[in-house]
Amino acid sequence: MSAEIKERTAADKGQARCPGAPSTQEIIAADKVAAPGWVRSESYSFLGDEDIPTARYLESSYAQEELDRLWTRTWQFACREEHIPQIGDYYVYDLGPYSFIVTRVAEREVRAYYNACLHRGTKLRASGTMGRASEFKCSFHGWSWNVDGSNRTVVCPWDFPHVDRSRFSLPQARVELLGGFVFINMDSDAKPLAEYLGPEAKAHIEAWGLHDRYIHLHVSKRLPCNWKLAIEAFLEAYHVIQTHPQVAVSNGDANSQYDVYGEHVNRFISTLGVLSPHLYGKHTEQDILDQFTLGDSGALGEVERSLGEGGKARGVMAEMFRGMFEKATRTDLSKVSDSELLDCFSYTIFPNCFLFPGVSLPMVYRFRPDARDHRMCLYEVLFLRPVPVSGERPEPAEPIHLGDSQSFTAAEGMDPGFGAILDQDTDNLFLQQEGLAASAKRGLTLGNYQEIRVRHFEQAVDRYLALEPKRPDWQRLQKR
Amino acid sequence: MSASPGVDGARDPSGQPPVPETFVRVMAAAELPAGAKKAVDLAGKSVLICHSNERVYAVSNICSHAQERLECGRMSRGWIACPMHGARFDLATGRALNPPAKLPIATYEVRVIGEWIEVNADRG
Repeated sequence: MSAEIKERTAADKGQARCPGAPSTQEIIAADKVAAPGWVRSESYSFLGDEDIPTARYLESSYAQEELDRLWTRTWQFACREEHIPQIGDYYVYDLGPYSFIVTRVAEREVRAYYNACLHRGTKLRASGTMGRASEFKCSFHGWSWNVDGSNRTVVCPWDFPHVDRSRFSLPQARVELLGGFVFINMDSDAKPLAEYLGPEAKAHIEAWGLHDRYIHLHVSKRLPCNWKLAIEAFLEAYHVIQTHPQVAVSNGDANSQYDVYGEHVNRFISTLGVLSPHLYGKHTEQDILDQFTLGDSGALGEVERSLGEGGKARGVMAEMFRGMFEKATRTDLSKVSDSELLDCFSYTIFPNCFLFPGVSLPMVYRFRPDARDHRMCLYEVLFLRPVPVSGERPEPAEPIHLGDSQSFTAAEGMDPGFGAILDQDTDNLFLQQEGLAASAKRGLTLGNYQEIRVRHFEQAVDRYLALEPKRPDWQRLQKR
Repeated sequence: MSASPGVDGARDPSGQPPVPETFVRVMAAAELPAGAKKAVDLAGKSVLICHSNERVYAVSNICSHAQERLECGRMSRGWIACPMHGARFDLATGRALNPPAKLPIATYEVRVIGEWIEVNADRG
C-alpha cells in the first residue's frame, strides 16, 4: 500500500455513514414545516479510534481524582430558576461531598454558597431540601448569615475577638443563568459559561426558549453504575435496535446524526416517525405510526392514529402533534418545525446536564456520582412543558424518588411507554459495570461515528484529570 | 377551594360517642387566595391556615424542631418549610419531610362553610 493511499484512509476515518439510508438532514429537509438553522447543521469531527481505558469506571481513586480535579472546575446544572422564584428562596445542590445553597438575592441575581457554617462546619441547610430564608442560621450554635452571604450573627461575640465578621461572609461558587437553568462552578478562575459552551452551542440553547418551560414531572433514581457509564448509555442511538426493539420501528437509529461542539457540548439528532434502517422492508408506514412512542404522551391523551390516503407516518404525526400539543398545553406551535415537534435532540453539557429541547421528548437529565460508592450514581429525569399562554407558571413538580429496584413506570405521571424505555436503558448498566470489572479486556472499543459523543465526553474527562487538584480557598471565595 | 378530608362529622375510632365539634370561624375564604397563608390564635394555639394545592389546611404554626414560627416559610405543593433551619412539613399530615425535624407538627380539622373558613383546634 502506498503512502498516499494510507494517508487518504486515515483522512476518511469517521466519514462512513449508514449505507442505503437517507441522512438525518435529508429526512428533515423533506418535512412540511422547515427546521431552523440549529437543526439543519452538522458538526462532526473524528477524534481518534483508540480504546477508552476502563479504570475510570472501576477505581475509587479515579472517582476521588474526578472530585478534586473535574467537579471543582466545571459548570454544573444546579437547579432551575423556577425552584427559586423569589428573593430568599433557596435550593440545596449537592455533588459528591460538596453542597451549595443556591439562592436568589435579587430579581436577576442568584448566588451559590458553600453549605457549611464557618464556625464548626455544620451544614446550614440539609441536603435535598428547598425553602425560603431571611437568614441562614446554623441549627447547632446559631451563627447566621444574611441572604446576601454577609455574616449576621456570631453568638457570644465577646468569646470570638479573633473573628472579624466582615471577613466571615459565606464563600461562593460562580453562578450563571441560561435558559431557565442555574449553572454553578466552584472554580473562581473558570472561564464564563458562554465561553465554556462556545458560541454555536450557546446559540442553540438560547434558540430553544427553555426558560419558558416548567417542570411538569421530576423523577430520580440511584443507578448501579459509575456516573459516566450512565451518561454514556444515552449518548447514542446505536443501542436502540437491541435495547429498545419496540422503538426501532419508528426511529431512524442507524442514520442518526452526531455532532460535537468545542470541548463541552455534543449532540445527536435521531429522527422519529421513520423506519430504522435495520428494519427496511419489514414494516409499513402504518406500523411506524402505530409504534411511535412519546416521552410526554400525557399531554396528548388517547388518539386514533390514522395514516390516510398515501400518507407518510412522519408527516401525519407532525400534523397531529402540532394541533394536539397546542390544545393540551395551550401554546402556539404553528411556527415550530416538524423536526422540533417529533425528533429526539439530545445535547450534553459536560459534565452533568442533558437537554432534550424537542416538544414530544421534552426531557432534561442530570447525572451525579454517588458520594458513597463510585459504582453507583444519581440519575434524574425532568419533563419540561411549555408555560401556558396565559403566562401563569405552574409550580415545579416535586421530585419522585424511586427505590433502587423500582421501575420508572412506577413514578406517577410517567408515560408507561417511556418509563419502559428508561428501564431498558438502565437495566443494561449493572451488567456493564460488573462486566467491565470481569473483563479480560481493559478498554472500550467505540464506533467512529455513532459513538463519537462517548469519545468526546471521555476526552473532556481526560483533560480535567490531567490538571492539578483544585482546592477551594474559602477566604478568596467571599464576595465582599 | 376545598378543605382537608374528614372534616365533617368526624367519629372517634374507638367507637365512643362523637366529641361535639367546636369549629371556629377564623377568616373569610376570600382572605386566603391560592398560595396564601395566615396565622391565627385559636384556643391558646398559634394555628397556620394555608391555601396550597387547591386545598385549605390548618397546621401548628410552630416548628417541631426548634419552636420557630412557620408563617414566613415557603409553601409549595402541599408543604411548608421552616424559614429558620429549613425543616419541611406535609400540610395534610404534619409529617416532617426533611431534617433537621423528625417529629411532625399538629394538624387541625378545617372546613370551608359558605364564605368562611372554620377550624376545630380542639381536635388534631
